[in-house]
Amino acid sequence: MGIKGLTALLSENAPGAMREQKFTSYLDRRVAIDASMHIYQFMIAVGRTGEQTLTNEAGEVTSHLQGMLMRTSRMLEAGIKPVYVFDGKPPTMKGGELAKRKDKREEAEAALKAAREAGNQEEVEKLSKRTVRVSKEQSMEVMKLAQLLGIPAFEAPCEAEATCAAMCKAGLVWAVGTEDMDTLTFAAPRVARNLMAPKSAEKPVLEFDYEKTIAGLGLTADQFIDLCILCGCDYTDTIRGVGPKTALKLIKEHGSIEKILEAIDTEKYPPPKDWEFAGARELFKNPEVMDVSGINLSWKAPDEEGLVEFLVKEKQFQEDRVRGVCARIRKARQGAASQNRLESFFGPPKIISSTIGKRKVEETKSGKGSKAGLNKKSKGVSGYKSKKT
Amino acid sequence: MFEARLTEGAILKKVLDSVKDLVTDANFEADPTEGFKLQAMDSSHVSLVSLKLHADGFAHYRCDRPLTMGMNLANMAKMLKCASNEDAITMKADDAGDVVAFMFESPGQEKISDFELKLMDIDSEHLGIPDTEYAVTIRMPSAEFKRICSDLATIGDTVAISVSKEGVKFSTTGDIGDANVTLRQNSEDDKEKMISIELGEPVNLTFALRYLNSFTKATPLSDQVVIRLSPQLPIVVQYVVVDVGYISYYLAPKIEDDDAM
Repeated sequence: MGIKGLTALLSENAPGAMREQKFTSYLDRRVAIDASMHIYQFMIAVGRTGEQTLTNEAGEVTSHLQGMLMRTSRMLEAGIKPVYVFDGKPPTMKGGELAKRKDKREEAEAALKAAREAGNQEEVEKLSKRTVRVSKEQSMEVMKLAQLLGIPAFEAPCEAEATCAAMCKAGLVWAVGTEDMDTLTFAAPRVARNLMAPKSAEKPVLEFDYEKTIAGLGLTADQFIDLCILCGCDYTDTIRGVGPKTALKLIKEHGSIEKILEAIDTEKYPPPKDWEFAGARELFKNPEVMDVSGINLSWKAPDEEGLVEFLVKEKQFQEDRVRGVCARIRKARQGAASQNRLESFFGPPKIISSTIGKRKVEETKSGKGSKAGLNKKSKGVSGYKSKKT
Repeated sequence: MFEARLTEGAILKKVLDSVKDLVTDANFEADPTEGFKLQAMDSSHVSLVSLKLHADGFAHYRCDRPLTMGMNLANMAKMLKCASNEDAITMKADDAGDVVAFMFESPGQEKISDFELKLMDIDSEHLGIPDTEYAVTIRMPSAEFKRICSDLATIGDTVAISVSKEGVKFSTTGDIGDANVTLRQNSEDDKEKMISIELGEPVNLTFALRYLNSFTKATPLSDQVVIRLSPQLPIVVQYVVVDVGYISYYLAPKIEDDDAM
């Protein structure tokens, strides 16, 4: 998942590339959301107690719908304009990674069985989270939900984050909302994390700027891709014994993976057999993305009856709750969502920095940043009481 | 070296009260010729405040080179609260320091207080606001404008301001009903009563009352408020402190067409 250790690396070497933003400062901003990644998170986190997740009467999981509904309405209420992009077919190169994930899942399933027999509740909860997988139907359900909420939703031909990045590059959206750092490797101009975090977590939005990232690291766009491959991406293995810090040092010294391989002691640092770094590089440079030209984005009012039909009748959500969300979204359409930003009249702002005074934010920021990098699991549950919907 | 003394220290207290609700941290700029100024936006970039105290509005003003000082406004307000309304206030900062000093002197010089506020190095976003001719300029008593905004906010969330030959109409709609307030031009000379409307073309725009209400925190600074409007442009609400400076607020209008979003 993502690029290993990139956040921590950036907070140390390119702190200027990361900025904490308030959730409210995304008012009137269009954001392409990597929906598939978030569905997975919701399945792990939303409404879980032990092994129990939210389900309807038929026993079908509804955590993904619950999560999407609440977080989407939070964004709409803040005047944010989300666009959902779903994964299409995985790229063939991801096969290795996917097989690995499947192995891990099977391993976890076996361990889960053992833990269940041993009656170890803590282990059961931990392991059951690892067995989560998102089915095509669940993905389609979320897409249906998005459409009923009046939000533009697209299925990418391949990886969702690559299409999100393409939308951002084309100026169709302001930023890409994801927790997956490889979106930055796809050269999305702006990546926003924590947009889909629950309100109760009170996490500020963490914004990454692509130009400042590569400038801060002192790399070219191609070198940045090589760095990400060396750190560890979804598509191929890495050189053993080379972590993010060493990777940055090597790239700066030698300029590319080919040159690094010539220079380093491959006995000491063995590269993977038949290492397909060039293929991974190509995937990052020229990913298969949706044609984003000529797309006209619009946000409609939620289809209340459609939502009730889908969520209440099929999925046994509480009706007053669904109607409550609709009412809040409708109100926001009159309120926050109908508000222009000043930039749309006066143009983009320029940054003015203090000439004197202490920059105290720097230290705390890097501290927080590296923590965010290590703590990859979203804690999405704190705001919710476990309750059958 | 920056040093500026304001005999009427209460002005600085009022200025701060009128921005601290909108902005948490801001960069104040001290300029050798222009004076002491600030521009800042609220977190959602819907409203902007621009204030300036002219160099010659101060009893004493010295600024050797431009300085940009980041301050937490809530903390600055805490310190300025300790000054009495009659006190003279002097601000001081070194070119390479990391504090700004405030000195409060009572009128008879029998009490002198020194406060030092730690500065912050922050990045703030500035917009380049073009000089435009506005279609409508309204001058009215600031207390009246405050009254209208707070009254209408009890009924609805937004106010439609429409200006025509008839006058200025402020209207809102809420769950409990509607409200309309119309003001007509008068021929008073007294700024506490005068209402004047310069009309180039009729304007009809809608704004969020929440922001307008926070702008009226500047009411104690001036008896008169100047409101400028043009179709498709943010509203400007300006309070002028004669001979000292001004504070101007900008607010982006609401999108009229419901389907446009």
